[in-house]
Amino acid sequence: MTATAPGSGAGTSRAGLGVTALWLGPALALIVGVVLYPAVELVRASTSDYSITGLRKGAAGADNYRRVLEHPDLSTVLLNTVVWVAAVLVLSIVISLGLAQLMSKEFFGRRLLRWAVIVPWAASLVITARLFMLLLDYNYGIVNQVLVASGIVDTPVDFLGDDRFTMPSMIAVGTFVTLPFTAYVLLAGLKGIPDDVYEAARMDGASPWQAYSRITLPLLRPALMVATVLNIIYVFNSFPIVYTLNDRNPGFAHDTTITFMYKLAFKSAEKSVGMSAAAGVFNVLLILVVVLAYLRISNWKEATDA
Amino acid sequence: MNKRFAAAAAAIGGFALTLTACGGGTGAGTAGGGSASSSGAAEKVTSIKLVAAEYSKENTAAFWTKFAEAYKAKTGITLEVQVVSWNDIDQQSSTMVQNNNPPDILNLNVYASYAKDDLLWSADDVLSDAVKSDLLPNFVKSGTYEGKMYGMPDLSSARALFYNKDLFAKAGIAGPPKTWDEFVTDAKKISALGNGTVGYAMPLGPEEAQAEYSIWMFNNGGDWKTDGKWSINSPQNVETLKFLKDLSVTQKVTQNNPGKTNRTDGAFALFQSGKAGMVVGFSPLAGTLDKDAKVSYGTAAMPTKDGGTPSTYGVTDYLMAFKKPGNSEAVKAFYDLYYSPDQVNTFIKNEGFLPVTQSGLKVFASDTKLTTYLDTLTGAKLTPTDDPGWDRVKLAVQQSIGAAVAPDGDPQAVLDSLQKQAESGS
Repeated sequence: MTATAPGSGAGTSRAGLGVTALWLGPALALIVGVVLYPAVELVRASTSDYSITGLRKGAAGADNYRRVLEHPDLSTVLLNTVVWVAAVLVLSIVISLGLAQLMSKEFFGRRLLRWAVIVPWAASLVITARLFMLLLDYNYGIVNQVLVASGIVDTPVDFLGDDRFTMPSMIAVGTFVTLPFTAYVLLAGLKGIPDDVYEAARMDGASPWQAYSRITLPLLRPALMVATVLNIIYVFNSFPIVYTLNDRNPGFAHDTTITFMYKLAFKSAEKSVGMSAAAGVFNVLLILVVVLAYLRISNWKEATDA
Repeated sequence: MNKRFAAAAAAIGGFALTLTACGGGTGAGTAGGGSASSSGAAEKVTSIKLVAAEYSKENTAAFWTKFAEAYKAKTGITLEVQVVSWNDIDQQSSTMVQNNNPPDILNLNVYASYAKDDLLWSADDVLSDAVKSDLLPNFVKSGTYEGKMYGMPDLSSARALFYNKDLFAKAGIAGPPKTWDEFVTDAKKISALGNGTVGYAMPLGPEEAQAEYSIWMFNNGGDWKTDGKWSINSPQNVETLKFLKDLSVTQKVTQNNPGKTNRTDGAFALFQSGKAGMVVGFSPLAGTLDKDAKVSYGTAAMPTKDGGTPSTYGVTDYLMAFKKPGNSEAVKAFYDLYYSPDQVNTFIKNEGFLPVTQSGLKVFASDTKLTTYLDTLTGAKLTPTDDPGWDRVKLAVQQSIGAAVAPDGDPQAVLDSLQKQAESGS
């Protein structure tokens, strides 16, 4: 991220101090404006009592937090979030490992493949989500037309309305848009593995599978970890796909913590800015705990120093 | 704890926090620079701000821009216009109030909560008598909270039953149904045509569930409130919701999963593609159908349970004025200009909606396409928008009615829970 304080003590004179401040200024302003200020506002909002219009009526203490924790749909939402993040993460990493391998090989059409993989990344998530809404539609969706015409199913599948299919459909779309980033991070990782290691392995008689599991995967670990950590945060915070694909479904049956937070503020009967802010604070804490736990378990320092 | 780890954790934490902080907003943006100077109560403003809902891409912004020019020419006061889509306007208006920076005029579909929070000018302060007496009485009533009018109607709409004439002819049905029994019989005949045709496209998804349910409810003699008390789970209302569930589950005359179908991209789309025999529509849908010229349709009053006098469901949106120092005269001038026949009727005509004034009714009467709606407009029943509790109940209805019409749905339980919620909230 941005420059950290040097703490060098170089600027002992007044002029030196001024120069230091000048260099640090923009970065500090950015941190204060983009990270600290919203965080302070979020906490302030979460401890305030708001009318349905958004008017602040006074302090609320911990009421908003209590109301979020007592919300009858909270367990559903948390379970959805775990399923959503875990499934998208695992699927996108596994598929990306294959894609990255393919993209790293020399073959005719490689450039085309690389472009094709980056396209979902370039499109706006809302547009991608709307597009999938059309593709998966019960009445006109091309996916259903193909499924019915080919005789795989007799009647169309309600991908976005049938409770059994809603989450899997969202996961499929979520994976689709997460692939480009993941595949490119892993591709960069693959490129960083020197050829002579493979050469040595071949000389020692390693099978392709042995070479992959004993050399490629261990050496890919830093890239895998970067992809995992960033994807956990990214998928957890993903709003447009879950919100758009799920907008026809009443209640919170398929919401994740992020869309739950949004609906609390603007769509559900709670319509409470304070409650939503409290849910937002929980979201930050949740993702922080998950990421820190992951870093601890995976021994981040060792891997990134390697 | 090692330093490197701590730094990485802090950086990632910051990243996560930033994303989360942005996550809720989805690009809301705050309310732009303050328009009115609030330096002193006596000082008059030189500029006011209007936040208007976008009824259509083609017309709304264009109308208000011209309106602002006329307003400036007449009063010398600048009218700053911000047009916001319906999807974002709740969020934007909430953010503006939260930041203590509301516009002078806000165009929204609710007002009572704002009146309850004492944020608004009442009609006594900002509406001239001539304007007030020209407004249709049922809209004055729906805009009145605790004896004072705060919600000035900008336009109205009324629902009617739309039916596909070609499908009706193919199924051998003479005319639109008048009773619920006829409705079921006709819908069955149309569904029997096959090829994905459905008798009735019923949108009970979150977008507009309260509207679709209201019109059926009104035509079974039910209402949201009776004699000032919530009557959401009255026997007629339970009967109505059970009937709607039966349409889908037992009679199978609706599209798949009506509890999870929204209006615009669900039910209307089905009717526009000629796949639905009937749908509850309003004048903007007629406009679209006329433009497409694909579906030959007719409009009729809603069927009632026993063939009694039909009621229609009316909707009006509001132009409310926020109390800000020195803005009352500018706001009054705004209303005077808006309700002049040239302005208000032009706006309503452009957007394809219905008038809110007596004088407007006369102007629109010449349009035969609107006869079905205009005949019922003065008797149209509205949702209880004059009760601030409704603002919350409406959201609860949108998020739960759909579940009642699923195969395992329980209409009685859903309405009981809504009744309980309404009673505890008001």
